[in-house]
Amino acid sequence: MIPFDFDYYRPDSVGQAVELYARLRAEGRNPIYFSGGTEIITFGRLGQLVTDAVLDIKSIPELGALGRSGDHLVFGAGLTLNAVAESGLFPLLGDVARHTADHTTRNKITLGGNLCASIPYRETVLPFLLTDSYAVVAGRQGNAWVSMHELRLAPGELLVQIWTEQSAARWPSVTIKKTKQDEVDYPLVRLALVHDGRGVRAAFSGVCEAPFRSWDMEDALNTPGVPLETRIAEALRRLPGQVIDDQLGSADYRYYLLHHSLREGMSALEGGGR
Amino acid sequence: MESVGKSVPRKESFDKVEGRAKYTRDLRLAGMLHGKLVTSPHAHAKIRSIDAAAAAAVPGVRGIVTGADCQELTGELLADRPVLAYRKVRYYGEPVAVVIADDEQTAWRAAGLVHVEYEVLPVVSSPSRALLPGAPLLHEEVEKYKRYGDVYPVPGMNIGNHLKIRKGDFQSGWEAGVVKVECYTAFRPSDHIAMEPRAARAEILPDGEVHIRASTQAPYVIKRFMERYFGLDPGQVVVHVPFVGGGFGAKGAVQLEFIAYCASRAVGGRLVEVSNSREEDMISSPCHIGLEAQIKMAATPDGRLTAAQITLLWDGGAYADMAAVMAKAGIDDCTGPYRIPNVWADSLAVYTNHTYATSFRGFAHPEVTFAIERTMDLLAKKLGMDPIALRLLNAIGPGETTPTQVLLDESNIGNVPACILRLRELMDWESGQRVVLPNGRIRTKGIAALWKTSSTPTDAGAGAVLIFNKSGSVNLMTGVVEIGQGTKTALAQIAAERLTIDPSLVHVSFEVNTKTNPEHWKTVASSSTMMAGRAILEAADDAIRQLKYNAALVLQVSPDELELAEGRVFVRGNPQRGFLFREIAMGYESENGLTVGKQVIGRGSYIVKLTRLDPETGDGRPGPQWSVAAQGVEVEFDPVECRYQVLRAYTVIDGGVIVNHRGAVTQMMGGMSMGLSWATRESFLYDNQERVLNPQLRFYKITHFGENPDMVVDFVQTPYHEGPYGARGIGEYGTIGMAGALANALSVAAGVELFQLPLLPETIWRARGGGSVHDPV
Repeated sequence: MIPFDFDYYRPDSVGQAVELYARLRAEGRNPIYFSGGTEIITFGRLGQLVTDAVLDIKSIPELGALGRSGDHLVFGAGLTLNAVAESGLFPLLGDVARHTADHTTRNKITLGGNLCASIPYRETVLPFLLTDSYAVVAGRQGNAWVSMHELRLAPGELLVQIWTEQSAARWPSVTIKKTKQDEVDYPLVRLALVHDGRGVRAAFSGVCEAPFRSWDMEDALNTPGVPLETRIAEALRRLPGQVIDDQLGSADYRYYLLHHSLREGMSALEGGGR
Repeated sequence: MESVGKSVPRKESFDKVEGRAKYTRDLRLAGMLHGKLVTSPHAHAKIRSIDAAAAAAVPGVRGIVTGADCQELTGELLADRPVLAYRKVRYYGEPVAVVIADDEQTAWRAAGLVHVEYEVLPVVSSPSRALLPGAPLLHEEVEKYKRYGDVYPVPGMNIGNHLKIRKGDFQSGWEAGVVKVECYTAFRPSDHIAMEPRAARAEILPDGEVHIRASTQAPYVIKRFMERYFGLDPGQVVVHVPFVGGGFGAKGAVQLEFIAYCASRAVGGRLVEVSNSREEDMISSPCHIGLEAQIKMAATPDGRLTAAQITLLWDGGAYADMAAVMAKAGIDDCTGPYRIPNVWADSLAVYTNHTYATSFRGFAHPEVTFAIERTMDLLAKKLGMDPIALRLLNAIGPGETTPTQVLLDESNIGNVPACILRLRELMDWESGQRVVLPNGRIRTKGIAALWKTSSTPTDAGAGAVLIFNKSGSVNLMTGVVEIGQGTKTALAQIAAERLTIDPSLVHVSFEVNTKTNPEHWKTVASSSTMMAGRAILEAADDAIRQLKYNAALVLQVSPDELELAEGRVFVRGNPQRGFLFREIAMGYESENGLTVGKQVIGRGSYIVKLTRLDPETGDGRPGPQWSVAAQGVEVEFDPVECRYQVLRAYTVIDGGVIVNHRGAVTQMMGGMSMGLSWATRESFLYDNQERVLNPQLRFYKITHFGENPDMVVDFVQTPYHEGPYGARGIGEYGTIGMAGALANALSVAAGVELFQLPLLPETIWRARGGGSVHDPV
């Protein structure tokens, strides 16, 4: 049971959605964009999230975009993770999406929902960070292009699409996910690596407080003439923050798995990748 | 046999797969009120005050009940538990009040407005810490609680029940042993996670009749307890149980039913539903028990066990309730299925500031078996013996006595060596217990042998009534609850076998109504097929006697000259002279309309023949018979990350004659899956104030369908002479040995002895020395 009442709206366009949100806010309401709804429902039934107006954005055409535009791939924020994975357009993104939650839930979870989730792992952001992708963000002043490295949504702003260069989506890549025990669980370590032709790029989830890509660590991993083990050891010294220590896994074990995953991933990538 | 032993599809399957089966909450009723629990945010605290004024002022709120309004103390053996916490809370999530409103949303909203002021107390975090001098006491005057039966609380300590086994002469047996091992195993409480959370509805009619509709395994116990605690005439209490969406022991306890009754009482007897959310079901209602076990075993150099000392410290949580009974069940069979002449055992239901415990599939046996089977493997290693050979050498059997000194015979125990030998063959044990694969991964095998008796009260029993339809088919009424175990189909097979008709002609009543269905103690303890089956045989024989009486009247022969086959009664040696059941079951109507004979109504019952246990030695008869089994697990272990995969799981059970073959196979598979889920991942996690950190399925993981290993099930069928057609009991057994077998396999794989559950990769990694030196393993 959802223990609170709320109004349900279904705007047909990005403009309507953004205007409606602003209007409801101005009326002192507490609106929320509703896409797959998995977080809203699961937190809502526990009273950990309360809203009085949901704006169901699933029927806005731009959010369902999936395909190519010029030399870019376009992913609508309203696509389900299964639709993203099954499209086969961006193999690394597909691999990450395919191992987020279970199949039934991935029929609901959307790309935008995962990227803007309050659950901190947001694993699908990693491929976009590695490929320097751009987000289309709608606000009252219209659409804006925002680098995925700087994606922060203000209240009422709506993530519409993510654009990725087609060539980058084809870079050799490796992703590795380690969990506490179950295959379907949050990551103790989620590692995503690509090779852009010049060097390795690395992004992580489950390791520190938020998902991140580290240029510092990439520099270490790409240092020429240094054995892999030494490069990995140096990269680990450059972790941007404290390793998470919680009920899923201790910092020690996460660090151990991270070390091992980097070794496994780097070997695969330097040996050819996918 | 025509029906018994066949794989008859479950009678309820069609309704279930099409979503038409009805459970407690499925019936929507106009005018029904909803109760929402207010629960404790602390594991141990004094309740200073409760201010419910704001909640009461919410429109639609009809009443608010707190511990002050229902001070009756409840408990299976020891009445230590208030219906709602009174003056003190003893676990995180303990119900403190219930807010009753017109609808669920209003109740939920108002519950958030009940303001409770607490004074936080120091917590007791584990059974061993609970017993330390100076540990905070959960119950200050445990000796003053009312007792119902044999229960031995210890004054001034956190002990709700202390049971003992003193068999043989432990000291001389210990000294006679040359090779000795000691093993300490531990795990914390967890949960059952039945698909349907617990729910209860109660209504008090103007004439005083109380109706309770609940998701329960124990409708008749609810009826008895309403008399015991509230002084109601049991004739005025009617308990209705529709389908139950999984029990696993969780629904053998009575909790929400009391709260719903007190809620109804507070609002003029109106119908009130109190149902758990998943999260409440995990921490507010009783959970799966934790255990710390210390086992010492001594053996001769050739591996013969001479003595065992067994100390079981149960984490019964805040109240003794079923933990006091589980302490007994665990000690009844504490040696495992082994011949140990000298046993010194103590089993303590210990109070901690955890959710109180109730039965879990296997009733104290999966927990004790984990400890015993780890010890047996340690001993095998120390002796340099094959683990299977050690178990075979010490397997208990006819002519020997159990820890409570029951003399075993050819009937009352299954064949332990036959199960072990069949397991050895199925697992291809001879090919080796440990293989290192070219990729560095390690494949190993582990086993466990197990037994279990029912450990029911001495007056547990069952009843059955058979009535006939005009078509000659029969309706079978028992008090067994259908909890997904398929018992009712097996019972129909037993009735069909005796009546010589097809099982499809036996219509079973799925819903239990305690006013009309004959009493059945509880649907627990792997005992329903055995007990109700016996009652049904008696009822069928009673019906047959009446059928023969009617036929004899018409045929002008003595009933002794008649016999039964294919749903007919006929003269022996002259099958043409006889009648179909439908011609005589309602009496026989002759051509001129004159009807002779009587309507046939068969009745039967069964009561187990048990005795109480001696408080000093444990001497006594805790159950009628012992089903036994041997189980195995094969794993593939990655020594780098300490992750593993369970490749195959095996069960060879001697459950006597198997009534429904496919039903029994699936029952074993479900049990193995549950045992493996518990052993591989399930545990509550607590913070340092003993608040549960993972009371939701997002963080409390169970295995998903599809994650199961290959499962191999086989049967040894040693008839139990008193069982219906030789059946024993099988329901729980698939669960019992899994943790022990898995831990044994993983200990061989990891090269380090594993004594804790769940067996998480990180746990194994630490046991192998992973992590910083400061971290305790």
